[in-house]
Amino acid sequence: MLKKVITRDKLPALWAHLSEQGPLILPVQDGPVVLFKPWQEGTAVNLDAVNSAVSPKDIFLPREETFLHYRSGNQQLELKAVAEEEPVIAFGLHPCDLKAIEMLDRVFMEQDPPDALYRNRRERTTVVALACSEPDPFCFCNDFGIDPTAAPGADILGHLTDSSLLLEALTDKGKALLEQAGELLEDGSGEQVEKQEIKTADFGLKLEGLPADLKNRFDDPVWDEIYKSCLSCGVCTYVCPTCYCFDVEDFGHAAEGERFRCWDSCMYGHFTVMAGGHNPRPDRKERVRQRFMHKLQYYPEVYDEIACVGCGRCLRSCPVNLDIVQAIKALGGEKVEQR
Amino acid sequence: MSSANPLMPQTATVLDITVETPDIKTLRVAGSEGLPFDFMPGQCAMLSVPPVGEAIFSITSSPTCRDCLEFSIKDVGSVSGALHAVSPGQQIGIRGPYGNGFPVDEMKGKDLLFIGGGIGLAPLRSLIGYCFAHRGDYGHIDILYGARSPADLIRKSEIKENWPEQPDTSVYLTVDAEFPDWSGHVGFVPSYVTELAFTPENRVAITCGPPIMIKFVLQALDKLNFAPEQVITTLEMRMKCGVGKCGRCNLGPVYVCKDGPVFNLAQLNALPAEY
Repeated sequence: MLKKVITRDKLPALWAHLSEQGPLILPVQDGPVVLFKPWQEGTAVNLDAVNSAVSPKDIFLPREETFLHYRSGNQQLELKAVAEEEPVIAFGLHPCDLKAIEMLDRVFMEQDPPDALYRNRRERTTVVALACSEPDPFCFCNDFGIDPTAAPGADILGHLTDSSLLLEALTDKGKALLEQAGELLEDGSGEQVEKQEIKTADFGLKLEGLPADLKNRFDDPVWDEIYKSCLSCGVCTYVCPTCYCFDVEDFGHAAEGERFRCWDSCMYGHFTVMAGGHNPRPDRKERVRQRFMHKLQYYPEVYDEIACVGCGRCLRSCPVNLDIVQAIKALGGEKVEQR
Repeated sequence: MSSANPLMPQTATVLDITVETPDIKTLRVAGSEGLPFDFMPGQCAMLSVPPVGEAIFSITSSPTCRDCLEFSIKDVGSVSGALHAVSPGQQIGIRGPYGNGFPVDEMKGKDLLFIGGGIGLAPLRSLIGYCFAHRGDYGHIDILYGARSPADLIRKSEIKENWPEQPDTSVYLTVDAEFPDWSGHVGFVPSYVTELAFTPENRVAITCGPPIMIKFVLQALDKLNFAPEQVITTLEMRMKCGVGKCGRCNLGPVYVCKDGPVFNLAQLNALPAEY
């Protein structure tokens, strides 16, 4: 399909052009971390960063989004849907995060009923993926069979070199975006990308058969140990690209206000507490078990794939190193050295 | 937007309110054209009172009642409290129906044993009404219902007058302790189940009530040789979306809001006991 190339010095002009029609969301250097944010004049875009601190899932599942306005009075209630319609460009998503979006798509678009808010964002977003050129020390996507230089599911795949960015359309939507950029992009049909072998960290994991092995281990004594260091801070769920639990709340007063949904976390005690006070997951043990079992057993039981992409964010963020690699190992998913 | 947002409620009007017990009211709710949506017994709906929010409630009316939905609601939380403060004529938000409902077809031809405790009668009542409306499809109907005190029994005129008069139907009421105005059976629901010694032959038991009651009812039914497949219950969990996504009611591979809330004991035994 269509290939275009642009030298790095001209990228700011491309950002300016692409952001004219709607939000252009890309990796931005924000103090010590990289985050996906909307571009504006002067934004410090950082395409060389491997992984953003927080996953870009919020492009499709925002931290908070209002979906209705209400007005009430004289016993009447008026509910009005709120919907955004503008096109969005998501630029610079790495293959692991795209794989995670594929996992979210199953939950939000394939499971009946589809989530209209999520689907609306997916449909009006053009996704420009960026192949990885080197892993960071926490990357372990190789364990999940992800090719860090390919991006199935993206509309455009970008390859960054020292001097330029090569953009290859993978879908008609991607082709349209490249064509629309006009003369900002040069013809790249002659450009070749040397296939790179990217070797991510080897933490000694053995994932084969793990979901099946965990099937009957809900009451395994290992859970009495794993959770102990957890602080219930929820950062793992916050940064994780495959976590999708959410809350629905009202904001306003009796006469008018809005209903929104926002990220929530199964790590929090209030998450499952019922109105009468009963809590089926009363302590950290049950909550830690829920999160890891969901990733490693419940999700795979339905979708035949472990809900982790090896992005390494929980390894970087967990203050007590209770990350998924530690959990997998504690649950027996560790290679045994052959002598 | 490309399709309807499942989180978007419609408005409905609270037609009238019955005070059932000191902390339970029954609301009759209708949309602009009667039933807000079709449903099956055992299904639930999200009710909302902005700005307090939304919560899930089982529908207590039978789908054969075509002019409104009924909800028997115990005042235990913020949304249930707000619904208790609603006055007739007031509009609320509603969306649904959610969940699988009771297996009304599989139950055909069987004798039915309903075992309810307190507000747990609410989801059972929808099925009871459905079975009365399709009386020929089901065998003998036993209804065992109990509460802490006579004042805590809900739907009093139905359980005392209407239901016992239905063909081939027996109603057993019990309260936890002696009360001056109570001449009926005294004792906990599970021990009454044992006492009445229901036989499992061609019978399905459907139970709902406080978790502690359900626990001992299941033990009692097991002792009476009911197979796990013959025992049906309906779970209650915190829910926010109702459509199997928000994560609260996740049990292993299922979401109670979507794949439940009705499970037979065999299905439940295969799931993590985290409800």
